[in-house]
Amino acid sequence: MRNSPAQSVFDFITSRLPLYKLNMKDMVTEKEVPVHRMSWGYYLGGLALFFFGIQVLTGMMLLFYYEPTVSEAHESVEYITHFVTMGALIRNMHAWSASFMIFCVIAHMLTALAMKAFAKPREMTWIAGVLLVMVTFAFGFTGYLLPWNQIAVNATKVGLASIDQVGQYLPDALSHLAEEVRVTIQGAPAIGQATLSRFFALHVVILPLIVSGILGLHLLSVQLHGMSQGVEDKPKRKEKFFPFFILKDFKEWGIAFLILFVLALCLPFDSLFPYPLLEPYNALGSTPDGIKPEWYFFFVYYPMEMLPFWVIIVVMTIATLGLFAAPWIFRNSSHKTMRWIASAVAGYMIIMTLFGEQIYHAVKG
Amino acid sequence: MRQISLLLVLLTGWSAASAYPEFQRFSQEHGGQPINCAMCHASGDGPEGAGRGQIGSLTPDELNRLNAARGAFAAGVLVESPILNEFGNKIIYQIGKTRFLELRAHPEQLADAYGFASDLDVDGIPDAQEYLDGTHPLNEVHGNPWRLFLHNLAAYKLHVFMLALATAAGLWGLSHLLFGLAQRTRASAANHNSN
Amino acid sequence: MLELFAFVGLPYMAILICIVGVVWRLRKDPYGVTSLSSQFLEGKQLRWGSLPWHFGILLIFAGHLVAFLIPGMWQSLMSVPWLLVSVEVLGIAATLLCLIGLGVLFFRRLTTGKLQKTTKLADFVVTSLLIAQVALGLMVAGGYRWGASWSTGTLTPYVWSLVTLSPDVSVVRDMPLPIQLHMTGAWLILLILPFTRLIHMVSVPIHYLFRSPQKVVWSNPRRHEQAVTARVTQESRRHFLKAAFGLGTAGVLLSVGVLDKLGRFFQMPGMHKDEEANLLETRLRRLQLTAEEKELELERMRAEEIFVARLSELNGQAGKYFIDYAMRPGLAFKGEDGWPMLLSAKCTHLGCTVGNQVDASGRILCPCHVSYFDIKTGMPNPGAPAKAPLDKIAWVVRDQNGSEVATESARGSRTGRIDVAIADTCSLYIVKSLTLEA
Repeated sequence: MRNSPAQSVFDFITSRLPLYKLNMKDMVTEKEVPVHRMSWGYYLGGLALFFFGIQVLTGMMLLFYYEPTVSEAHESVEYITHFVTMGALIRNMHAWSASFMIFCVIAHMLTALAMKAFAKPREMTWIAGVLLVMVTFAFGFTGYLLPWNQIAVNATKVGLASIDQVGQYLPDALSHLAEEVRVTIQGAPAIGQATLSRFFALHVVILPLIVSGILGLHLLSVQLHGMSQGVEDKPKRKEKFFPFFILKDFKEWGIAFLILFVLALCLPFDSLFPYPLLEPYNALGSTPDGIKPEWYFFFVYYPMEMLPFWVIIVVMTIATLGLFAAPWIFRNSSHKTMRWIASAVAGYMIIMTLFGEQIYHAVKG
Repeated sequence: MRQISLLLVLLTGWSAASAYPEFQRFSQEHGGQPINCAMCHASGDGPEGAGRGQIGSLTPDELNRLNAARGAFAAGVLVESPILNEFGNKIIYQIGKTRFLELRAHPEQLADAYGFASDLDVDGIPDAQEYLDGTHPLNEVHGNPWRLFLHNLAAYKLHVFMLALATAAGLWGLSHLLFGLAQRTRASAANHNSN
Repeated sequence: MLELFAFVGLPYMAILICIVGVVWRLRKDPYGVTSLSSQFLEGKQLRWGSLPWHFGILLIFAGHLVAFLIPGMWQSLMSVPWLLVSVEVLGIAATLLCLIGLGVLFFRRLTTGKLQKTTKLADFVVTSLLIAQVALGLMVAGGYRWGASWSTGTLTPYVWSLVTLSPDVSVVRDMPLPIQLHMTGAWLILLILPFTRLIHMVSVPIHYLFRSPQKVVWSNPRRHEQAVTARVTQESRRHFLKAAFGLGTAGVLLSVGVLDKLGRFFQMPGMHKDEEANLLETRLRRLQLTAEEKELELERMRAEEIFVARLSELNGQAGKYFIDYAMRPGLAFKGEDGWPMLLSAKCTHLGCTVGNQVDASGRILCPCHVSYFDIKTGMPNPGAPAKAPLDKIAWVVRDQNGSEVATESARGSRTGRIDVAIADTCSLYIVKSLTLEA
């Protein structure tokens, strides 16, 4: 006998968001986490959450001094760095923590893929997670522009200009559409105050709001469903979520905080760039040498430099759709297959991030 | 006409205008990263032009100082050239204009001639080393990352130690808080069951 | 003579007697090394006396010990004004706590009947001595303020001179009387320590705090269950105690090291007048630059023609930058035929600004992704990331009198003729109408 449609919708929702588990017993006292050789993957999401928390705190502190106008942005950042007590520390923490957060988010996604954590009933969790990855990249992209120095604006310019390139593959009647999209994002034909205002609004208001919504859903469903099994065989050992697992989470946060603090205190983020790139953006001068995006964009940036643009578009589209549809595409794949896929992706990302520049020079001569 | 002079100011490419490109070329190659004239000059675009810190914009008083600096052939003369920054002026003070001009043929010797005692931005890396590394000698958050890290770590070791202590103590306390709570909840759960 | 005895003889005597006495007590009667607790006889008042006293004196003692053991670091910490004030306030508070506690204990000894039998003269001596000592300490703290800071340079070297067996009384000789008495009192307390209840200092059962609880019970099911519950309660209490200790330590360390600076993050930074002026100057200049940029933009909206350069300023080796009607950078060269060549300097790949130096094969380079553009045609080199040529920009050349000599549209169609004889007196403009025509 078939269920009525209303009943099956209800069933779908309760199995995906089992709110009846929202009690002390299921969430705390009886909750268990499998222990196996992939268990380390369970901690990456928590770590990303921790760095996000740091971003929110330091970000709010920076807001006290930052001024989002083309004439003041650079000076206000310099003011924070050189004059405000602990300003350099807070700013460096924000910069380092951003990189760490993106690293954790990517690693979290790949381990979730490897552990087939998206399988029923966790499809919603996975999709929310993929959205969060994208929002995180959007955070990185919009935040990068705000210091309004040479590298920030020029890298953003290059990034946005790649939207234009889509136009050449569209039918003639629509070919201006790509440029219109870019101009809309920029707010003006050229990058300027309009762009800065928009990116600032996105970075400090809109994206945080989006994140808090999706993140709430993500965390709630993670907590309701508990950790996925992660490996083929039923794990022999399990450990209590409370207090053992959560304690390890906290310990990791402590270590992460120490590392972050030492780096932010001792290694200014600015020192990683040639100093001409740190000068205020000069709209009318020539572009200085050495403009490139942040490391977390290398995996698309260098291929974009080497391959025809349509290849990038096709691959990116397939990859994005594939990520969203993973719970259904890989429904019947084994854990082993998933590990292979995830390792291949991870290997590609690592190689492109570390050696992308060398590969680019080798290819281009 | 105002706009015209403005254009001149804004559009001078740096590569065209550096007065002593030998040093820039050397620093760039030795340090492995692009630099511009702002290492020694007041303007990133070098001394020629009409912008701030460039010859075209000097007041009579500044011109006097420029001429005084140009005449500082021997070492040990305090100069305040308006087209140079603090580091540039210090170079002239340390080695004198004559020696400086001689060194154009051997830009690698400038660091030794200048000496490794001065550290104008107090970031722990001597100016001469920053010249070799191609980093900014007047920006305390700019320097060779590794050297900067080591220096700051040594300078802040007490802070780092105290924070490590605080983190360890906090985690230790937190773990006991969790264990205590876990025991209480387990006990109350057991009581519920037995009742 | 007296001062030599008080500051050298007495200390060494006290230390010696203390050590010998303690060893003697421990060997003679190891189980008698206690404070002779009277908690069973009277508990209520004891709590109000003993706890404040012990908390206070431990804190005070720790303070003295720190100034003795790490004078250098302590001194540098005490040079922070608010920290010094906090330490002094804390110290005085602890002293008052001690006095209150001792007062209660003294009163209790005097008034509680059950205690009278076990109270000896020595107890009164000890308590009086302690009260006097604490009171002297309070006098010193009140009368000769900021002792936490000055003691590191005076008393610490003196005590260290005793420890290193090279007594040096020069610093303490001229100290005010209350301080000298306070020191003498300390040596006296040390002297009588082995012979009074103070001996309990050497047998403080610190390990009780951390050992797991032991409970002796009769075994039957009900008792067993009770015992288990009690054990869980006790164990969790122990956990909470440790938690409070750990988190408290972390909190104190963080508030000392970080929180005050976090607070100062929001304060206006104290800047030197020069620094402030320089900063203002930089900011003003940035504002001016922005304003000038906007002026350029306005000019491009309104003016039909915009001056680029005199023809004589142009050459074929280094292009001259200018801003075109779309507010994009452009480059002006002079060709071999003496005609100007105007190209957009915005790279057709990803929009970087192309360099202005012409290489041997007549090309300019975009530094971002290495595309070379021919300055005659604007075409990129084969295989370059950029595919489309750089746009040509329409121009007009006018002579001294402002009459039109030659033009070129954005499509490249030319009109007029440039006479070499007058070329150097001519000026180059970009033209809105010809730009729009394209």
